[in-house]
Order: sequence, then structure tokens, then C-alpha cells
Amino acid sequence: MQSIRVTVQLENDKYTLRQVFKIVSKENLGSYSCSFGDEAKADFLLAGPQIGEVRDKPIVSYVGDSVVVKCKMDEKKPKPASWNWYKANGTDKEQIFYAAEPQKYEIKNHEWVTKLVVHKLTEGDSGFYYCEGVYAVSTTMGHVELKVITFLEPLKPFIAIIVEVIVLVAAILIYEKSQSKKNSAGGNETNADQTNTPTPGDNNGPEESSSTRQRKV
Amino acid sequence: MPPAAETKLGYTPPDGGWGWAVVLGAFISIGFSYAFPKSLTVYFKEIQAYFSVSYSEIAWVSSVMLATMYAAGQWHQTFDTIFRLNVLIAVINSNSFLCAGPVSSILVNRYGSRPVVMVGGLMVSSGMVLASFGTSIIHLYLCVGVIGGLGLAFNLQPSLAIVGTYFHVKRPLANGLAMTGSPVVLFTLAPLNQFLFDCFGWRGSFLILGAIVLNCCVAGALMRPVKKSVKPQPKTETPPAASEEDGARSSDFQIEENQTESRCQGCAHRFIDFSLFKHRGFLIYLIGNVVMFFGLFAPVVFLAPYARHQGIDEYSSAFLLSIFALVDMFVRPLTGLLGNTKWIRPRIQYFFSFAVFFNGVCHLLCPLAQGYVGLVLYTVVFGMAFGMLCALLFEVLMDLIGAQHFSSAVGLVTIIECGPVLLGPPISGALVDAFGDYKYMFYACGVILSACGIFFFVMHFYNYKKLDEERKQSLAAERRTSEEAVKLKMSPDDKAAYEAEG
Repeated sequence: MQSIRVTVQLENDKYTLRQVFKIVSKENLGSYSCSFGDEAKADFLLAGPQIGEVRDKPIVSYVGDSVVVKCKMDEKKPKPASWNWYKANGTDKEQIFYAAEPQKYEIKNHEWVTKLVVHKLTEGDSGFYYCEGVYAVSTTMGHVELKVITFLEPLKPFIAIIVEVIVLVAAILIYEKSQSKKNSAGGNETNADQTNTPTPGDNNGPEESSSTRQRKV
Repeated sequence: MPPAAETKLGYTPPDGGWGWAVVLGAFISIGFSYAFPKSLTVYFKEIQAYFSVSYSEIAWVSSVMLATMYAAGQWHQTFDTIFRLNVLIAVINSNSFLCAGPVSSILVNRYGSRPVVMVGGLMVSSGMVLASFGTSIIHLYLCVGVIGGLGLAFNLQPSLAIVGTYFHVKRPLANGLAMTGSPVVLFTLAPLNQFLFDCFGWRGSFLILGAIVLNCCVAGALMRPVKKSVKPQPKTETPPAASEEDGARSSDFQIEENQTESRCQGCAHRFIDFSLFKHRGFLIYLIGNVVMFFGLFAPVVFLAPYARHQGIDEYSSAFLLSIFALVDMFVRPLTGLLGNTKWIRPRIQYFFSFAVFFNGVCHLLCPLAQGYVGLVLYTVVFGMAFGMLCALLFEVLMDLIGAQHFSSAVGLVTIIECGPVLLGPPISGALVDAFGDYKYMFYACGVILSACGIFFFVMHFYNYKKLDEERKQSLAAERRTSEEAVKLKMSPDDKAAYEAEG
């Protein structure tokens, strides 16, 4: 830890210390503090900008599809000079080189946003991806998780719901058919479940209504 | 059962029994129709990133779309791209949705509600499933926007129409309950969509949503056509109060229709009934609604952005919409219940005018709301006003027109309302952008809605008076003709008299 000793003069009843530091490299970052004897102390933490928005839940995509993984730096902070992308390989991080596999990876950088496009996904592409924003004096890292699943995954609930729909529709229509059979078997009886008030037994009634139903259904 | 209703419809609506199952079916259908497009917004961020879409790329899709998009594009400074995409899909959806109105009316008139709803459900379902395999944004717009939109239109109108055929005395309650589907389904779908998105991404979610929306077919299966036991009934002299207005209102209409309908009392084979434009009540409804829709939906669309503009965080702003839906959910059936009471039912048009006016006042007072608490209060009051209005929206049309012609009426109304519904939010957005402040938009919407409320009140006052006069005249005329018929019967030319009367 380096320390600098400065003498200050009293100005307007205040002692003011102003020090300029040139931040040239990573080593110049860190914590600084100034103290006035035992009476006053201030601490400062100098750090590079940190990545703001990253999705905390995994991005889900499908085998054979492509996916866009995005990292964004807060627009109030300075633009990174460049971006790097890494894929987690066990505990290591392996850098993704744009040029190496152009069919597989595409990196699109635009000011505060970087996008990694991964084509022709396989299940092996699942895992953590790290985006690194590079500044002159520091770098900052964010991570996003990618999950690659097959189409069979959503297919299961899909089929389950379809089956439910078919069962319900069939049940409702069968119930209706059995109701109408009961009514026509009952002869001139009017359908008790259809009307509140007693209507005069009418020969035309049930026949007309069933023909109406056939026409409409 | 009031006899006047029977003469109007040609049969006795059950007002219960299977009718409640039909209300459940209508609840589901209407719920999906309104809530489904709104709930898809969860996916837009990822879809937009996936297709790397910018506004200019899709600007060529259609010239109508172009005009709306440019109008919408003007106000992009305040909102992010997701919101614009939001508007875009909503616009396409509404386009298909509203313009398909007449088509579904024609189909319902010919085939009844059940087949149309089931076909609609199949259409939305297949649209979503196809969209899940989409390879371009155009593909998505066609599948979700056009096919999906059409399918939803085929769900909305038949549901409303069939409720009208099953209920007469309890119709406001039935309508209120059916319309409650919209906030309930929205409230359920919004978190469900988020969950699906987290588990399956947008493609898998679209697939599963395709299956979920197929439940509209279940709703359609419930929509058994009502049994109409046709019996010609003579018009009685003393119809009870509740349906008096109804019978009278449609009586002048029916006199015109009688000649053409002749034997066919229970069926409405007409395609689109342009003679509706001569109907006084229908015109009042149409004119008022067209103006009203300019200001009705914009505050809903801008509620969350307004909250964020006030400095409230994203989650609390979204929560405002949940509060809105929750209040809406409870107010709609309550309004239906209120509308059914014997004090309000005969003058239900005034109740509707009040609801519209209430909305207007609510928006005019909105800029006074300070901080999150103020906004919550505004949201609650707005939810109440909006719920009241929506619960009554179609009930008052049925009240004016009668259940028989409702199908055609709703078709005409929706295609004409297409304009204000589509233009309302972009114009409001332009207002916000022009002044850099939301309060002018709220004032504008408030003024429009209050003015409509007053318009409705005044016009219906006049309309009720005219209807009362007409009813008195027609009752007097009937009395005269029946007296004459009795006199003529005694005379030898009774056959000639019979024909003259019939």
C-alpha cells in the first residue's frame, strides 16, 4: 500500500485536499483512502464499469435452431472498446473466435450491446457463456446460461392438453346426444332442462328443434 | 315469461338450465379473444432479438400497416422497440379481428354459433402451432396476426350472440358474467406465459399455447343451439314492465321484418342486415361508440409506461395492470347483476351512459394522482369504470336491437369500430410525444369519453321518449284493428278482412 503525505492550508475555515491520479492500467484501480490525522477519513473504490442487464434465468432454445445471447452495458456508462465471448468448459473459459467457426458463431457488437449468435445448436452447446467488455484499464464480465432442449420437451404438455380437449369435447357431445335420445324417447315431453316455463306439448316442438339442430350442427 | 319477448323472438329463452353452461363457454371464448393477443407481449423481446427485426425491414408488409406504423413510428422516442413491436402485432391482430366481424356474423347467421366457434378455435390453434416453426417475422405475423386474429374473431361474436338467444330476463347478468372472461383469462395467461417462456423459450411456448387455445373448441361444444319451440302467439295487451321497452323497441323493427320473415320465425337467414342503419337506437350506439373507442383503450395501453415515466420501477408498473385486471374481474359480474335489477333494466341505456361518463371523469382526474399510491387509486377507479363499460357494451346493443339481429349488428359495429380502435393508441402516443407529457393525453381521452357519455345520455333520453310514444301508438292501433276485426267478422266479407289484417 502506497501512501502520500500532503500539507494543506486553511482556506475559508476548511482544509481541502485535492489529488489527481492518473489511471493508466489495471494496477491503478482499487481502493483509495485519505485521512486527516485522526479527525476525518474517506474511502474510495475505483473500478471499471460493470455489466448491467443480464438475464438471470437460462435462455432456452432448440436443437438445430439458432439463438441470440445478449449482453448489455448500461448506456449511462462508457462504451466498451471491444467485447469478447467465452464459453465455459468445465471450470475453464474458452474464448470463442469469430473467424474460427463462422458457420457456428457470429458476434455482433453495437455500442453498448453485444450479441452472440449461435447456429445449429446441439445439446452440447448448453452451459454458461461469458461476455467480456474490454476497456483500456479494466474488463468486466457477465454471464448468461443457455439451455438447449429437443422439441420433445414441449411436445409432452402439448399432447396432454390436446387429449384433454378431445376428451372434454367428446364428453359434452355424447352427453348432449344422450339427453336428446332420452327426450325423443319420452315422446311429446318438452325438454325440461331447456325451458323454465311449462310450454304446451307440441308435436312440432321436438321434431322442429332436432331438425334445427341438425341444420345448425 | 313475458309474452312480448316471445312474440319478438318466436320462442321462450330458457334463462337458465343449459344457459349457464353456454355462459361458461362464452366466458372462455370471450376471454381468449380479448386476452390472448395482450398476453403475448411477454415473448416480444426475444422474438425481436431472434429475428433482429427493425421497423424499416417490415414496413413494406401492407400499405394499411404502413400508414399505421408511420403514425406509430413517430412516437418512438418515449418508448422502446418492444413496445412498438407490441403495437404492431396488436394492430395486425386487431385488423383481422375486427375486419373479420362481418364474416363471422354471416357465418353465425347461417350455421349457428357452435361450428363457428369450434372452427375459430382450430384456426387460432393451428396459427400458433405453425408460428412455433416460424422462420421469419412475416411468417409470425401471418400465423399469429392474420390466422390467429381471424380465429379469435370467430370466437368473439358467436359467443355474444348465443348468450342473447339463451337469456332474456337474466340477460344483463349473463352478459356481465360472459364478459368477465377477458380479465380472468388475462390474469391467468400473463404469469402462465412467463412461466412457459422460462421453461420452453418462445417456440415451445407457442406450441403449448396452440394447445391451450384449443380449449375454445370445448367452449364451442358447450354452445348447444337453443331449442326453439315455435308457436305463433297473439300480441297481448299488458306486457310486464321489464320487457315492455324491449318489445316496443324492436316492435317497429319487427313490423318491417314480419313481411319478409313470414313463416321463418326462428331463423335469421339474412346475410348482413343493412336495414339496421335505419334503426334509431343502432345509429346512436354506432356513432357514440366510434367516437368513444378513440379514447377508450389508450389509457390501458399507456398505464404502465406512464407509471415508469413517473419513476416507478418496472415490476410495480406491471403490477398496476394486475390490479386493473383484478378490479375489472369483480366489477363486471357485479355490473351485470346491477343491470338486471328492476330499477335499472328498463333504463339500462342510462346506466351505460353513466359508465362512459365515469370513465371520462376518471381520466380527467388522473393527472392529479401523485406517487405510487395515487396511481394505484387511479388504477382501481379506472378498473371499475372500464369493467362497468365492458360488461354493458354488448348488453345495451342487444337491448336496442334484440337478440335476433344482434349477430349482424355486432358484425357491422366491429368493422366500423376498426378505425378508432386501431388509430386511438397511435394518436394518443403522438399527443404524448408532441407535448412530452402524458397529462394531455389523459385530458383528451377524458374529454372524449365524458362527451360521449353526455351524448349517449341525451340521445337515449330522446330515444326512450320516442319509443314510449311509438308503443302507445302501436297499442292504440292494435286495439283499433282488433275491434274492427270483431266487427267485420260479423259481416259476410270476413275472409277479405282476415287477409287485410294478416
